[in-house]
Amino acid sequence: MASKTGFLRKTSPYVREPKAKVEKMMYDVLIALIPVIIFTIYKYEFTAVWIILVSIVSMVGTEFLYYKLRKEPFTMKNGTALISALIYALIMPDVTPLWIVFIGGVFGMYFGKLVFGGMGANIFNVAGFARVFIVISFGAFLVYDVDTVAGATALGVVKANPFDMMILGDFNLWNMFTGVGEAGSIGELSGIAILLGGLYLAFRKSLDWRIPVSYIGTVLGLSTIAALIVGAEMTYPLFTILSGGILFGAIFMATDPITSPVTGPGRIYYGFGLGVITFFIRIFGALPEGVVFAILIMNMFVPALDYYKWANSKFTIKSTLVFSVVVLVTVGLLVVGVWQ
Amino acid sequence: MIRKTNQIKTLEELPKSLPTVQITVPEKVYITLMEMRTRKYTLSVVEGDYVKIGQIIGERDGGYFTQPIFSTVSGTVGKVIKKFTYTGKKTECLEIINDFKEEYAERVLERTDEAISKLSKAEIIEIIKENGVKGLGGGGFPSYVKMDTDKPIDVIILNGVECEPYLTADYQAITKDAYQMFKGLEYVMQAMGTKRGIIGVKRTKHALLKALTEVKESDFKDLNCDIIPVSNYYPQGWEIELIKNTTGIKVKPGTLLSEYGIIEYNVTTAAAIYQAIKFNLPVLNRYFTVTGDAINNPCEMTVRVGTPIPHIVEAAGGYSIDGDKVMVLGGPMMGSNLMMDDAIVSITVSSLLLFKPQEYKEEPCVRCGSCVYSCPANLQPVQLMYAAKTKDGDAAKALNIQNCIECGLCSYVCTSKIHLTDFMRKAKKLVK
Repeated sequence: MASKTGFLRKTSPYVREPKAKVEKMMYDVLIALIPVIIFTIYKYEFTAVWIILVSIVSMVGTEFLYYKLRKEPFTMKNGTALISALIYALIMPDVTPLWIVFIGGVFGMYFGKLVFGGMGANIFNVAGFARVFIVISFGAFLVYDVDTVAGATALGVVKANPFDMMILGDFNLWNMFTGVGEAGSIGELSGIAILLGGLYLAFRKSLDWRIPVSYIGTVLGLSTIAALIVGAEMTYPLFTILSGGILFGAIFMATDPITSPVTGPGRIYYGFGLGVITFFIRIFGALPEGVVFAILIMNMFVPALDYYKWANSKFTIKSTLVFSVVVLVTVGLLVVGVWQ
Repeated sequence: MIRKTNQIKTLEELPKSLPTVQITVPEKVYITLMEMRTRKYTLSVVEGDYVKIGQIIGERDGGYFTQPIFSTVSGTVGKVIKKFTYTGKKTECLEIINDFKEEYAERVLERTDEAISKLSKAEIIEIIKENGVKGLGGGGFPSYVKMDTDKPIDVIILNGVECEPYLTADYQAITKDAYQMFKGLEYVMQAMGTKRGIIGVKRTKHALLKALTEVKESDFKDLNCDIIPVSNYYPQGWEIELIKNTTGIKVKPGTLLSEYGIIEYNVTTAAAIYQAIKFNLPVLNRYFTVTGDAINNPCEMTVRVGTPIPHIVEAAGGYSIDGDKVMVLGGPMMGSNLMMDDAIVSITVSSLLLFKPQEYKEEPCVRCGSCVYSCPANLQPVQLMYAAKTKDGDAAKALNIQNCIECGLCSYVCTSKIHLTDFMRKAKKLVK
């Protein structure tokens, strides 16, 4: 009965969760993007189709060539390149010339992901990296077209005085939620389509709810405080989260697990940092919009949030105290900043 | 899946409840001469000597772990042979050729209840030590050491949780030997002067709750012992989890349970304590589970300690595949791997698993955090993996690698199919 061969060397555990797969998580993101893409194409028709196609060709093509030339196995199957390409396309202004989309896609994929070592090794969100690259290099081409039917982007208009209610009154919150009749980056308009995708991902456990909840919650909290101080209408907080790319960024970009912290508390701090930077860029900075910059800046803080000397998988008394102090200082800064 | 996982899925093609088969006592048994942290042994018999069941044939040496070695059959002593054991390595074993007379040694006796009630703490500890009773849940830690403390013990907890999938040894034991467990508990409570006992069983195992309650109602009305159902998750059987869920006491990893006034035994250990005190008998038999998709008839059986694995495989209908298979002694999450079936069942082994090999394609880590959320010891396996890869002992230490119980959940949940538990073992070595 005894046989001396035929027993494999393994180490415990000998079983694995069959449903836990990177591919499954990534395909879920693709599915969650469908409502946004449908809305974008409905709204911008062939402009959107072309931007999306060029983005896919540039990003996925770059990755494909890279692995072909290096004679390494190609990782298209897990879908990460496709996700980056779609997100990158959806955060483009509709007026972006296609050649800029292409250059940004190639550059972003190569310098944002492949030079770091491909999937799992990149420090920055690839789509955000590509977007910031073209903003800095070709900013003049990306001015949102104010002559379209919808008029200026909500944030572009209120930049001069963020709390001018006369102007804010021109924007219908419901329109901003549904995305019908507003201008902006092509995929960021319809809050309802984005939330639908987000709920799907949360239900499938393919994103960590901590990041979007703490991100959007922070922006809501800070804008409420700001509105109270300057005496603005209480629709202002809602206006803040529905305008620009906060919802899209919070649900599809900030939750990229590769570029966010690994611990639960770390993710809460990360979302908080995103909210603070986004809101501060909006009301104090020179740019009308800060989501992508906030994401890239917080990406740089991820190693610090994960550093073994203080990162903890549970909240501790010490970490809660430190975090509370940081929150108080932030609120103090906001109060000092808007008190005029 | 970015979430906390604590349920282990089992193969669907395997039956949920296994048939019981009769297995003969083998012609030759092999008694391990070194177990746990014992490094030396002395034998008091030589080849050709006649030994009886329960006879002391030598001693394993190693400080606290020093323990007598027993023969589990009657027959003739053979040679010292190296066999694979639950450690996954070859260990020296003493062969005993069974004469099937089943004669018991002279030291085996029966103590009356009256005599037992007069035993002092020191005497009970001595009897448990003399009979080599140890943690039968898999730990193999000598049971008398836990009692050998001056600290007041408020509660004795019996662990009947058996949280790893597939394993049914404790389940069989509770349904059949509940009386012995209560008796063992009673003896330990008597020795320690403890007023309270607890038996923790999974909420989902109705048969066990029923069996225990029935025995308690009929024979142990006066015993202050609560049968506490606990929720069904992995690793509920880890003593820290069980103590938290039955008493609410949060034990810090790395501290002694006696500091909290707790002694915790596996239910089968309690039954072994009963056998030792009542009959002066060491552990002779183990309830055993054979299962997996590479064995013909998954089944339950009662196995004599020292039985060779091929004998068990034969009783379970043989291997169902010719090709490569994975053989595991113990559970699918924490058991040890054997590369040859030239192995034996030692006292702490309660199951044999045989699986068809399964290859998992490993992807780069996407930092999803599932391992961090799932770790029952609140560690950060992904960070420990980086520490192990960069051989950063300071980081491994700061990340509390010494609290890792190698439960296997980090590897189990990994979305990238990275074998994190292996990295945890490497990280542990960095700290030592």
